[in-house]
Amino acid sequence: MLQYLFAGLALGAIYAIASVALVATYVSSGVFNFALGSMAFTVARFYYFLNTESGWPILPSAVVSLGLFAPALGAVLYWLLFRHLRLRSPLIKVVATIGLSVALPPAVELVFGKLTNVTAPGLAPVPLKVFHPFGAAVNMDQIMTYLGLVVVLVLGIAVLQYTDLGLKVRALVDSEALTSLSGVNPTRVSLGVWAVSTVLTGLAGILLAPTAGLSVEGMTYLMAAAFAAVVAARLNGLATAVAVALAMGVVTTVIQRYLDPESALSAQIVPSIPFAFMLLALLYHAWRRRAGEPPAGGALDRAIRVAGGATGGPAPARRGLADPTLIASGVALLSVAALPLVLPEYWAGLTATGLALAIALLSYTLVTGEGGMIWLCQITFAGMGAVLSAELATYHGWPPLLAVFVGALLIVVVGAVIGLLTIRLGDLYVALVTLTFGLLVQTLLFTRDRFYNFGQGTAMPRPGFAEDTRVFSYLTLGTFLLLALLIVNLRRSTAGMAMRAVRWSEDGARTLGLSVVQMKLLVSALATYTAAVGGGFLAMNSQSSLPDSYNVFSGLVWLAVLVTVGSRSLMAALVAGLSFHLFPGVFQTYLPTGWAEVPVLLFGLGAVMVAKDPDGILAVHARQLRGLLARRGGGLPQPSGRPAQAALASGSPDSAVHQLTGGDR
Amino acid sequence: MNAVSTSPVPAPPARLEAVGVTVRFGGLVALNKVDLRIPPGSMVGLVGPNGAGKSTLFAVLSGLLRPNEGRVLMGGGDVTRATPQARARRGLSRTFQRPELFSGLTVREHLVLGDRVRHSGDRIWRDLLTGGGFRRPSKEEDERVDRLLEALHLGGLQHREAAGLSLGAGRLVEVARALAVEPEVLLLDEPSSGLDMRETEELAATLRRVVEERGLSLLLVEHDVDLVLGMCDTVNVLDFGAMIRSGTPEEIRSDPAVRAAYLGEEPAPRDAEAKRDEEDA
Repeated sequence: MLQYLFAGLALGAIYAIASVALVATYVSSGVFNFALGSMAFTVARFYYFLNTESGWPILPSAVVSLGLFAPALGAVLYWLLFRHLRLRSPLIKVVATIGLSVALPPAVELVFGKLTNVTAPGLAPVPLKVFHPFGAAVNMDQIMTYLGLVVVLVLGIAVLQYTDLGLKVRALVDSEALTSLSGVNPTRVSLGVWAVSTVLTGLAGILLAPTAGLSVEGMTYLMAAAFAAVVAARLNGLATAVAVALAMGVVTTVIQRYLDPESALSAQIVPSIPFAFMLLALLYHAWRRRAGEPPAGGALDRAIRVAGGATGGPAPARRGLADPTLIASGVALLSVAALPLVLPEYWAGLTATGLALAIALLSYTLVTGEGGMIWLCQITFAGMGAVLSAELATYHGWPPLLAVFVGALLIVVVGAVIGLLTIRLGDLYVALVTLTFGLLVQTLLFTRDRFYNFGQGTAMPRPGFAEDTRVFSYLTLGTFLLLALLIVNLRRSTAGMAMRAVRWSEDGARTLGLSVVQMKLLVSALATYTAAVGGGFLAMNSQSSLPDSYNVFSGLVWLAVLVTVGSRSLMAALVAGLSFHLFPGVFQTYLPTGWAEVPVLLFGLGAVMVAKDPDGILAVHARQLRGLLARRGGGLPQPSGRPAQAALASGSPDSAVHQLTGGDR
Repeated sequence: MNAVSTSPVPAPPARLEAVGVTVRFGGLVALNKVDLRIPPGSMVGLVGPNGAGKSTLFAVLSGLLRPNEGRVLMGGGDVTRATPQARARRGLSRTFQRPELFSGLTVREHLVLGDRVRHSGDRIWRDLLTGGGFRRPSKEEDERVDRLLEALHLGGLQHREAAGLSLGAGRLVEVARALAVEPEVLLLDEPSSGLDMRETEELAATLRRVVEERGLSLLLVEHDVDLVLGMCDTVNVLDFGAMIRSGTPEEIRSDPAVRAAYLGEEPAPRDAEAKRDEEDA
C-alpha cells in the first residue's frame, strides 16, 4: 500500500507543478492556458533531443532545457500571443490557446523529427536507483519529482512573499493598469511570469515523460489533471490546487491496487480519474454558485478593456443581388458543387468527407458563433451521432438517413442536459465542463467493446441511392444547405435576435422579458442536433462509426480550423470542412512525407490569429472586397449613421447570403 | 336616522410598490425596511448619495435581487418571488446604470426585439417553424419602431451595432428598448449620465410626453437632482439604505435632512430636534 502511496505522491507532485504553472499564468495574465500540454511536450522533447539524441549528460541537458529553452519559449509566446489576450473575451482566449496547442506539436516534430518510441528518461540517471524506506520501493525518478515540487513551492512562496519582484507580481494580479501607473512595467513582469511558468510546465513534462511517455497524448493527460486541480481551486488558489493535485495522484495509483490490471474496466477508470475530479469540483462550485470567473484585472483594467470580439460599428450593408459577398458565395457554392464531378475518385472521396465534416462544424457556428458559448465537445456529439445511427441502422434495420436524423434527436437530450447544467457557469467553466464531458465519453463510452470493435466501430451503410461517392457528396451538400438555411432563418428570426440578446447581456434580456434558460437550451439543442447529424454523415461516408475519429483533441483542431476561417459564417463551415480534408490530402500527395504535419500547424496558427482578428479570414476578405469595391466607385453604402443609411430598407431582413458569409458580424 | 358613511375612497393599488424591503450583503445592510410607492401615471424620483442603495433597490424592484425581508407588489399582486422576465411580462421595464446593450444587435434590432416581446411574443418559437426569419416585418411594427427611433433621435444610428455606440447614444437606445415593450412601469437608472444638456432636455421632454400619452408610471434614479426635481411628482431620498424623506420636489428641496445627506450640511438645531422627535414618534 505504501508503495502505491509513494507512487501516487510522485504523480501528484507532477500534477501539482503543472497546476502551479497554470495558476500563475491565469492569475497574472487572465489566460487559462489550454496549450499547457503542448508546451510541456515541447520542452520535454527538447530535453530528449539534448539528452538522448545528442548524448548530452543529464545536468547540462536539464540546465539548457529548463534554464534557457523553456524561459525563452515562454517569453516568445508571451510576446507573440499571450500579451494580446489579457483583456480579451474568454472565447478568444480559449480559441487562441487551443490554436497554440494545435500548432506547437507539429512545429516541434518538424524541427526535431517524429518519435517512434515514446519511452523517455527523466532527470535521474538510468538505471534508476531504488530505495526502500519503510519497506516500500521508491525510485530515483520519484525522489527527483518530490524534490522538484518542494523546490518549486519553497522558491515560489519566498519570491512571492518576500521579494520586490513578488510584490510586483501580486500587484499585477490585482490590476495591470494600476501597476503600470505605479511605474512598474507590467509587460516585463508578465513576461517573467510566463517564462517561469513555462519552466514549471517543462519540468512537469520532463518528469512525466518516463511514466506517461514522451507524446502529446501523455502530456495532454497531464494538462487534464492540472485543469482538474486548478478548477477545484476555483482557478486561483495555489494551496488548494497543489493539495488536490497530490490527492488526485494518490487516488489514481491507489485505486489500481483494487482493480484487475487486465480488465477493460481498469483501462477506462484510471484515465478518467482527473475528469471525475474536475466534474465533481465543477458541480460543487455550480451548486455553491461560485462558478463565475473572477474578473480579469481591476476596475480600471475593465474600464479600458477592448470589447472582446465585438468590433461594433456599422452593420453590413445590404445590397441584395448586388452584394459582392452574394456573388462570392454563389461562386464558391457552385465551385464546391462542381468538385465531385470534376475531381478523380480519391479527391471526390475527400470532398465528401469534408462536406460531412462541414455539417458537424455548423454546430460550432451555432453554439459559439451565435450563442457565444464555448463548447468543446461538439466532436463528442458527432461521435455519439455516428455511433447511435450506426447502431440503429445495423442492429435495428433502420434506413440510414432515418437513423441519422432520428438518432440525432436522441442525442439532443444529452446536449440539452449539458446546456441546463452549464447555464450558471462562467464561460471558462463551460469550456472545461464540455471538455471534461467529451473526455469522459471518449474514455468510458466510445471504448466499450460493443461500440469500439477493435477500432472499427459499427458498420454504417449509405442509403441505397447514394452508395456512389459522387451521389453521396450531393446528398451531403444538400443536407448542409438545408441546415444552413434553417440557421439563416433562426438568425433572422425573433429567436435569433433573442439568442444574441442573451449572449450579450443576460440581465438586459431578462428584464426585457426573455428567458435566458429557454434561449440557451434552444441553442444547445440545435447545435447538438447539427453535430450529431454531421457525425451520422461522417459515419455514412466511411461506412463505419469509427469511434477513434471522435477524439476530443481532434475536436479542438476542428474548432481551430473553423475559427481560422470564421466562427460566425455558414460558408466558413463549408470552407473549413473541405480544407480540413483536402489540404492535408494535397500535402500527402504532392509534398514530402515530412511535411505531413504542416496543415495542422497552419490550422493552429490560424486559430492563434483569432487574437488579432476574431472574425476569421473569410470575413476579413469580405470586408476587404467591399472596401475595394467602394473605393473603386461601386457606391456601396457606408451605413455608419450617415444619411445614406436612412435609405436602406427599413427593417428589411438581412441578405440571406450575407448571413451565409458571416460578413463582419 | 341612518348614519351616512364618510369613509374615504380607497386609493388605487400602486403600479409598483416596495414594502419593508431589507437587503443584507453579509453584515452590510444595503436596504433597511424601505417603502416606496409608484402610483399609476406618476413620475417618482429616487435620489441619494453614492452607496445609498438606489441600484440595490432597483435590482430588487426588477427582480434581479431577492430581498431578505419585505415584499414587492405590482398592481397589488405580490411579485417578490417572480423572475425578472415574469415581471417584464407584467409590464415592468428598466434601464441600467451601465447600459446593458446587446452588442451584436443593431439599434433597430433592439427596438424590434422589444416590440415583438410586447406584441408578438409567440414569434420567438413560431418564426422557427414557419420561416418567419425570411418574412418582412409588419407595417405596424415598422411604424412603431420608426416612431420610437424618431422620438429619441436614433434614426441615423438605427443600423449601427450597439457595440460601437457612445455612452450617451447607448443610454438612449436602452431607454428606447425599454419603451418598445410598452411597459406600465419604467425604471430608469441614471438615464442622463453621458448625455449633454440638450440631449438631457430632449430625453426629459420625451419621457414627459410618454407618461402623459400612455399613462406610464416612471421611477427615475438620477444624480442630476435638478432633473429629478424638475420632472417628478414625488421624490424619495435614500441614504445609507434607509428612506429618509418622501415628498414633493419643493418639500425635498427645502428639507434640511436631505441637504445634510447630500451636501454634508448639519441640520439646523431646530430641524434636528424636530427630526429626532419625528423619529422617536
